[in-house]
Amino acid sequence: MNPLWRKYLDVRAPRYTSYPSALHFDEQATAADYGKRLGEVGLYEPLSLYVHIPFCRQMCWYCGCNMRVENDYGRALRYVRALNNEIGTVGRRLGGAGRPLSVHFGGGTPNFLKVAEIGDILGAIELALGLTDGTRLAIELDPRLIGDGDVERLAALGFNRMSLGVQDFDPGVQAAINRIQSFEMIESAVGDMRRVGVNDVSFDLLYGLPKQTAESFEATLEKTIALSPDRVAVFGYAHLPSQLPRQRLLDETLLPPEETRADLAGLADDMLVAAGYRRVGFDHYAKPDNPLARAELEGRLRRNFQGFTDDLADTTIGFGASAIGFVGGLYAQNAKTLGDYYRCTDRGELATARGLVLSPREVTIGQTIRGLLCRSQADIASLLAALSPTEANAVCARLESLEADGVISWDGDRIALRPEARPLSRVVAMALDPYAPVIKDGAARTLARAL
Amino acid sequence: MARRLVVKNKTLMVEGEPNHSLYVIVDGSFRLSKVLEDGRRQVTGFLFRGDFVGVRSTDASAYTAEALEDSSVCFFPHRYLDEIAIDAPGVKDRLIARGQTEYHKAQDHIVLLGKKTAEERVISFIELIGKTIGVDDDGRRTVPLPMPRQDIADYLGLRLETLSRTLAALKQDGRILELARHHVVIEI
Repeated sequence: MNPLWRKYLDVRAPRYTSYPSALHFDEQATAADYGKRLGEVGLYEPLSLYVHIPFCRQMCWYCGCNMRVENDYGRALRYVRALNNEIGTVGRRLGGAGRPLSVHFGGGTPNFLKVAEIGDILGAIELALGLTDGTRLAIELDPRLIGDGDVERLAALGFNRMSLGVQDFDPGVQAAINRIQSFEMIESAVGDMRRVGVNDVSFDLLYGLPKQTAESFEATLEKTIALSPDRVAVFGYAHLPSQLPRQRLLDETLLPPEETRADLAGLADDMLVAAGYRRVGFDHYAKPDNPLARAELEGRLRRNFQGFTDDLADTTIGFGASAIGFVGGLYAQNAKTLGDYYRCTDRGELATARGLVLSPREVTIGQTIRGLLCRSQADIASLLAALSPTEANAVCARLESLEADGVISWDGDRIALRPEARPLSRVVAMALDPYAPVIKDGAARTLARAL
Repeated sequence: MARRLVVKNKTLMVEGEPNHSLYVIVDGSFRLSKVLEDGRRQVTGFLFRGDFVGVRSTDASAYTAEALEDSSVCFFPHRYLDEIAIDAPGVKDRLIARGQTEYHKAQDHIVLLGKKTAEERVISFIELIGKTIGVDDDGRRTVPLPMPRQDIADYLGLRLETLSRTLAALKQDGRILELARHHVVIEI
């Protein structure tokens, strides 16, 4: 890595899966606001749906998601009833409008639920919002909870995208993060998926985990490449023990140093590209014939709460505790605790607890940042026009030093991220973000490292 | 006024292309559809005998109308209708008032999609078509279904399997008396 870029290694930056980030959400956005906007959705407006399943069988010590360890399946059934209520409530607000383009089940662990319950949730969506044979269904799976025949039953329900939380294949690393799953287990899951014709298999890998070394991560990548998933997402582990108490279980002294983190990310990039994967955004890789790679190539790549995506829908509806929707310029996040979530859904009400109405200037800033993250370039002229003079000056000053360090180059009114500086995408995004300085002073410790 | 035959699978109007005629379906049936932003085709309605389409002259039609079977239509160029309107104002409106137009079809669609259960959606759809082209005999109404099942599923926002299961259930509980590929029989 360019020595001038070392100083960026410790920078903490938002992931920019939304703009502004969820840290800016507050209680001014209400269920009534969300309901009103659902009522304004167009008859055939494409919708992207997200269903959050917060349960896990066991706690992974690195996890930053809204999840809870659960042993009582009765409680999961209680949650499914609440979800189905919420789906019905949203459906009544939509009144037949909107066409679901995709449904993504995330968690937690969606396959904590049995396939029958997952089918029930899909059935509720079909009745409340409409579901056709062309709707794309995706699910995140914990390989340790995949039972005999589960993959086949999920495929029969129509799931054609399956994502496995692999993280790392090294047994020492797995022990250090409390997530032990053998290579054979993953291999068998992938084999099941291929047998039933799932042709979009995705792996999540994590770098920056305790005990990881260049050698161990290289072996993980070799095993990954051998199993030939269609996509690989390589995320940096965000160690934020002050925010996420469960991360205190993890032995901090075993975490790799900053420099090693950068090396691990670089190693993954080198090996995946050499194996024929295309880079997609700053942390995704996909085989050239995968829809995500094609979207990248054709400039259609987008970013939503699931990361980089080829999903075309602007409007997102989130179901479940803590799920976030984006409808008509409003971000709406559901209540995070099950108790609060059930209180709303039991009464047939929307479960919005927090959110944000986008101002026109936030729309512009968000577009600029997404352009940078998805297409490695950004129109600075339109961004500056939306900012106050003080903010515009600050953005220009930050861009000047990024240019001096060779991270970006100018092309008329636009900036372009240099290809080798792709790992610094979020640092550049933060330079474009007038809220960033506030984040830096006030809440830096709540953010993950940019790299 | 001129008459035109439209062979099965041929189009009367194509989304995005100009259309300057008003059509009335004389015989047969048509599927209305449009391509959504995501590239999928959305079935937005069906036209039967007596329905009107192409109510406004346009350089870019909002949807495609495709014959589900060999059909025939009468068409009136809008320019001709506008000329007549000089001497007889309101003639176009009075003509159209005799049948359903694409705007009524959009209304029908949102009503159907707002139904809470698959059974309600499917039976309402059959009743709606029955009112237009059903053939009554001895308290029973035969409702032709000239469109493929997949079109019905897409139109109703259901998966094909759900539609098949729902039709079978309606047959089972007697709300559908007879279920065949291209027609159903219901009680009036």
